[in-house]
Amino acid sequence: MGKSFAQKALERASGEKDLVPGQIVDAFPDLYMSHTASWRCIRTLERMGVDELYDVDRIAMVMDHISPADNAKTAGYHALCREFADRMGVRKFFDVNAGIAHVVLMERGLIKPGELIIGTDSHSTIYGALGALGTGVGFSEITATWVTGKLWMKVPESIKVEVDGPLARGTYPKDVMLRLIGDVGADGATYCSVEFHGSYVEQMSVSERMTLCNLAMEMGAKNAFVPPDDTALAYLDEAGADRGSYEVLLPDPDAQYRQVERVDGRSLVPQVAVPHTVDNVVGVDEVAGTKVDQVFIGSCANAKYDDLAIAAEVLAGNTVAPGVRLIVTPASSMIMAKAASDGIVSTLLQAGALITNPGCGACAGSGGAMADGEVTFSTANRNFQGRMGSYQSSIYLGSPATAAASAIRGVISNPQELLA
Amino acid sequence: MNMVEKILARASGRQSVEPGDVVVAEVDLLIMHDLSGWLTSRVFDKQVGGPVRHPERVAMVFDHHYSPPTEDAADMLKANREWARRNGIQLFDCGNGNIHHTVVRRGLVRPGAIVVGSDSHTPVHGALGAFAAALGNDSHAGTVLPYGKAWFRVPETVRVELVGTPPPGTTARDVALWLVGQIGEGGLIYAAVEFAGPYVKELPFWDRWLFPLLCVDLGAKCSFVEPDEVTEEFVRSLPPGAADRPAHSDGGEAARVLRFDVGGVAPQVACPPTVGNLADVSALAGTPVQYAELGGHAGGRLEDFRAAAEVLQGRRVHPDVRFNVVPSSREVFTEAVREGLVLALHEAGATWFPPSTGSNQAYNMGAMAAGESMISTHARNFPGRNGSAEANMYLAAARTVAASAVTGTITDAGELA
Repeated sequence: MGKSFAQKALERASGEKDLVPGQIVDAFPDLYMSHTASWRCIRTLERMGVDELYDVDRIAMVMDHISPADNAKTAGYHALCREFADRMGVRKFFDVNAGIAHVVLMERGLIKPGELIIGTDSHSTIYGALGALGTGVGFSEITATWVTGKLWMKVPESIKVEVDGPLARGTYPKDVMLRLIGDVGADGATYCSVEFHGSYVEQMSVSERMTLCNLAMEMGAKNAFVPPDDTALAYLDEAGADRGSYEVLLPDPDAQYRQVERVDGRSLVPQVAVPHTVDNVVGVDEVAGTKVDQVFIGSCANAKYDDLAIAAEVLAGNTVAPGVRLIVTPASSMIMAKAASDGIVSTLLQAGALITNPGCGACAGSGGAMADGEVTFSTANRNFQGRMGSYQSSIYLGSPATAAASAIRGVISNPQELLA
Repeated sequence: MNMVEKILARASGRQSVEPGDVVVAEVDLLIMHDLSGWLTSRVFDKQVGGPVRHPERVAMVFDHHYSPPTEDAADMLKANREWARRNGIQLFDCGNGNIHHTVVRRGLVRPGAIVVGSDSHTPVHGALGAFAAALGNDSHAGTVLPYGKAWFRVPETVRVELVGTPPPGTTARDVALWLVGQIGEGGLIYAAVEFAGPYVKELPFWDRWLFPLLCVDLGAKCSFVEPDEVTEEFVRSLPPGAADRPAHSDGGEAARVLRFDVGGVAPQVACPPTVGNLADVSALAGTPVQYAELGGHAGGRLEDFRAAAEVLQGRRVHPDVRFNVVPSSREVFTEAVREGLVLALHEAGATWFPPSTGSNQAYNMGAMAAGESMISTHARNFPGRNGSAEANMYLAAARTVAASAVTGTITDAGELA
């Protein structure tokens, strides 16, 4: 019987053989990512009186949530993390100016195929875009792993998702994922390894694959996976990951899947997740005309370079509707540099966008807070009630193109009408 | 009469006024930011009521927030927006710039106008030849909003004449800071401070701007630079606004004249806890900083970004420093993109923020932990203004801020290797 990607990756990380779904193993992750809330882990270590770490080079710390500090308490947490990184020799430390952890680590060649990556962020599934097994864990798990180097994990079952393309103009990987999440539900892939295959996936850029794997979390996935191919290897080369430093793991052709899901991208229209859950998904035309107060183009799901380029394409020559705030938060400093050098920043500014420093921004509550009754259209990955300020506010999720179109018109709009 | 007296006479319907006269003047522009606008609108609604007499003469600029980090902040901004809409008041929402730069860039401040605002740096508009003064929120709620008027006691004029040419490396910002140290905080209470002399005459508009800006620290009521061809040319570059009514002094002597030779002024640093606590940058050299920032009413100008880009050419921001760059207005941000400054500073390790007041008062950014320090172009350095009361804010010129960002310690740009 063939093996899935998750089986192979956990065999590699645990040194065990012939794992089957449901089995529990002690795995040794290659990298432990923790974000701004690393201070919790540091304080726990202090309380336990532990100061010896398993392998400090496996720790990656990124100050992406609530950056920069808007109050003294947060500034103190940042300072604590810096001091710890300095004292312990954490070299993979990225400060408030670097960007969102996931994107920063991937674009700097710190995530490699076949590796097991754990992170204090649920969207750590994103690392599957480069063929790594990425999964979100709690602060106590990260703290324990800092010390012991290992973490127990249950071998997940696998789900195969096949996406056929090409997509119609104005639809994007975000629309594919929202449709899929809408179809299977928020718990449709609970604790499963979700593998993406199919003709459309093969043609996607790594950035687009990141959107797929990031959002897999919203159907409950333990991890996500796109088979690394020449596109992924070229990305890794550019990011500075030496080809000899990793081994691509691919599922066997006869691997066992709990289920197979298909998304026909060819017939897809732009999708929108409506309040207050990510699996509450409709075609954009069903909610077109809904008034928006704010549009947020940001987050690890959709604020990468090509996301900003798509938004700029829609916004070029247009202006944001009066009374609408358009907040654009590039996912990383490197993305900001590219967008500043090729005219995208200029286009966004001319359209009336507010461009913030790179980071999680409004997605993680650092900015973009809403008052009662307000509505945000967001490219992020969560629309839970109260996530962006008031419990009486609403968040709609969609692609950067749908976000840009909605900013121009002041109401939720189908970007296909503007891109025609 | 001088410029200030002529404006107050015109606006109060008198032939002439003298220092000490109390006049009721017609206000041409009331400016409020997100914090003062909220306080003023609440007092107005609860205790005054009625229509705003001249809504077209009132502007609100959201600048302490660019992207509200809390629901409370979002509530405040929403209430402000609704109040502005209900009363027909011009609103410049988050991301347009800081209040003073925004209203100038949009052509709302005109020579000869009477400008009032709650922000203590409102007198900066004297740089355009306006009479500009900071009043309290309650004065705006009680008289300016319902009647379009405010009372003033005509201030005595003190002329500050600056002569000499400072050494290369000393900028107008250094000279302006230095003057606060020379004259002393509270040294010119309720005066109208005229900045004059050959040094001031030679300065381009945005450098002149820095002098009236700091008059609040002298205790002045208002400040001005006599409008001349530099002023006129600058005003022509603005979008058309309300009528210009420039007023010019008749040439009479001021009550007092203070003369300073700026020939020997070195780059300055205002140390905590107040703006008047000045030292030559060399005296502070080596003091560690974790943050550096170009922004605020006294910074975030194109001139500041150009100066920083020059300092950073071939250099990088120190890894232990977060260097924030905050344009003073959307216009400046757009021009900085066009000139390649956004890319140049970003690639040198700086981080750009939306046009706003940046770390000023740390509503959206710029909080520090105990023991941390920032060097910036901001206008205030009071303890507790940026997070912990145990944190330090040093004020300096853009060149010094950029050089300090490179080394991680307070540094004279001229000393960079």
